[in-house]
Amino acid sequence: MSALASTFYNALVKRNSVFVPVIFTGAFAFSVGFDIGITKLWDARNQGKQWKDIRAKYIEEE
Amino acid sequence: MATVHLSKKAVTIPTTVRTLSSGVPVAPLVNLAARGGHDAHGHGHGASGPRSDTPARWAGGVSRTSSGFVSKTFQYSPVTGIHQKSLMHTSAVVRDAPQVPDFSKYEAKDPSTNRGLAYLMIGSLGLLSASAAKSTVTEFLATMSASADVLAMAKVELELSSIPEGKNVIIKWRGKPVFIRHRTQSEIEEARSTDWKSLRDPESDEARTKKPEWLVMLGVCTHLGCVPIGEAGDYGGWFCPCHGSHYDISGRIRKGPAPLNLEVPQYDINEVDNKMVIG
Amino acid sequence: MSAKDYYGGAPQQQYYPPQGPPPGQGGYYPGPQQPQQAYGAQPYGGQPGYGQPYQPQPPPQTVYVLPAGALKNVAALSGARSTSLNAARSLPRVRFASSSASSSSAFESFTNSRATLASATLLTVGSIAWYANLYGTLPFIGEVHANSPAEEGLHPAQYPWSHAGWLDSFDHASIRRGYQVYREVCAACHSLDRIAWRNLVGVSHTVDEVKAMAEEVEYEDGPNDQGEMFTRPGKLSDYLPPPYPNEEAARASNQGALPPDLSLIVKARHGGADYIFSLLTGYRDPPAGFEIREGMNYNPYFPGNAISMARVLFDGLVEYDDGTPATTSQMAKDVVTFLNWAAEPEHDERKKAGLKAVILFSALTAISLYVKRHKWTVIKTRKIQYNPPSSH
Repeated sequence: MSALASTFYNALVKRNSVFVPVIFTGAFAFSVGFDIGITKLWDARNQGKQWKDIRAKYIEEE
Repeated sequence: MATVHLSKKAVTIPTTVRTLSSGVPVAPLVNLAARGGHDAHGHGHGASGPRSDTPARWAGGVSRTSSGFVSKTFQYSPVTGIHQKSLMHTSAVVRDAPQVPDFSKYEAKDPSTNRGLAYLMIGSLGLLSASAAKSTVTEFLATMSASADVLAMAKVELELSSIPEGKNVIIKWRGKPVFIRHRTQSEIEEARSTDWKSLRDPESDEARTKKPEWLVMLGVCTHLGCVPIGEAGDYGGWFCPCHGSHYDISGRIRKGPAPLNLEVPQYDINEVDNKMVIG
Repeated sequence: MSAKDYYGGAPQQQYYPPQGPPPGQGGYYPGPQQPQQAYGAQPYGGQPGYGQPYQPQPPPQTVYVLPAGALKNVAALSGARSTSLNAARSLPRVRFASSSASSSSAFESFTNSRATLASATLLTVGSIAWYANLYGTLPFIGEVHANSPAEEGLHPAQYPWSHAGWLDSFDHASIRRGYQVYREVCAACHSLDRIAWRNLVGVSHTVDEVKAMAEEVEYEDGPNDQGEMFTRPGKLSDYLPPPYPNEEAARASNQGALPPDLSLIVKARHGGADYIFSLLTGYRDPPAGFEIREGMNYNPYFPGNAISMARVLFDGLVEYDDGTPATTSQMAKDVVTFLNWAAEPEHDERKKAGLKAVILFSALTAISLYVKRHKWTVIKTRKIQYNPPSSH
């Protein structure tokens, strides 16, 4: 645990020129990942109710 | 019940003799902060600096007025009987050693982990805040873009089979006229064989059309915004009646005051349905 | 640290010879004027010829109107006085003795206890809640209603809509069926002004389906080059066609009643989706004695119970293309879901964004609290120590 914390500190935090970019790129990655995660959760909960679930039925009719 | 009574009374007392209710003797008009002079015959002990135990101002005081001394005393406790003097004590209980709570429970077991956790938390706070701020800004900027009903009106769909070869069609798109010409083969050849590099606004016909037989242009003269007349002018294309600009069969300016060719809007040709979408 | 330390921690009494009357003689409480006078003299008690600081007052029975706290102090004080010769020593105990009541203040301690307060509050709140539950109104607060319950309409039951939960999206198959019911049944009288064809795309129909539906309707457009209006087939950007050109035409066709626009009807009615479902399925014969005018219909859910709209949904009225049996309640459920979507097209995105916001902001709050504690540790664990000057 202590080694992990030290690695984290030395790699990311020690220099502010690293820490700040890490936070900003992390924020970008987080917003994308969070969006995907929530959408997955939402789709799992509303399985079969949304338009994208029933869309295929009406596309094939043509 | 903690009330403060302030009593003022003119009394005549010696300057040096006074006892506070707390039992502290004071001499109000004596400057206790003054350093004493060097005493050569002193015994080498006793503080020579200002006294640090001068009673605080809030503990009371005596001031000199024209009528004599006025003593001011603050009382912070209810008078409950004859023993009130003891309620005014400002002294703390004497203890041999200062009693400090035991904080060892709260001390970090491992400074490295502690530091790592703290920075992780602070970094996460910054990360989430930056993410939320970014979403806020983008959502706000999105409100400035065109709304859905405006965007829905911004596209015009056109049935191409309804336009015979060699005919002009003018439709309205975003409040402006759009010329659509179904060009004949000879017109295409004429447009393509022109030496376009020597024109005022050099542009090849290939660059102006997606399919050679369909020419789509905004019907607004680039000079002062008149609407040119089709199938007119010296070059078999369009002619602007306002100031005499001549455009050729590819909509390029050939003669007259206009500086640029007629503008080509965004459009798509759907060959399967034979439809054109402008916008 | 006080001067006491400086003076070697000697007892206060050293500077303070007892001045009060001997025990047993006093037992009085100084009157309102007494403390100041006595106090002003007190510091100079050692000075000869200065006043008489403490005149024992003869009648110990004097009764003063005092706050409860003061009474308690007197009671405690008299107890302390009789037990201890060294009254000054016992004073700190007396002063803080407010919680150790003597027998006379048992009632007081009962009225002052937290348990009494809590149980009295609980009793009050509970009885008010019980009354409100029994009679539907708060006690002692009069209410006047302009309408009787019959005039307001029967309260609709709560139905388990598939989109009712915080994280539930609309059932889009139901929206599609509901649109069919609207088009085939409701649209004969009711407009849906705020919904454009393009709104249906990606919600209940594909682009091509919607385009085909829109083209079946002729819209007036123009003016053209000749300055005349012309008609053209509908486009995606057109809004759903209204059944009547204006309100007057709508009233003329419906015996003076105006069929309301349905775009926001779910938001515009108390009870929302439940109310509309109940209304659509709630038609029945009027109870005995209920007079109903010619051309009106009885519906217990409608305010006033007499509604101009007749029952329109009957089993098998429409034929669903997905094979769902078209019962009355199925059609009512589908059309209400469709109308709910029409009123809240942002519904699905709203709930999704709400989920995101709740997660994100709870995390931010929790971390903020951690960071606050982290930043305050320095201040919270600071020790302040006083080292008095050494007195050789």
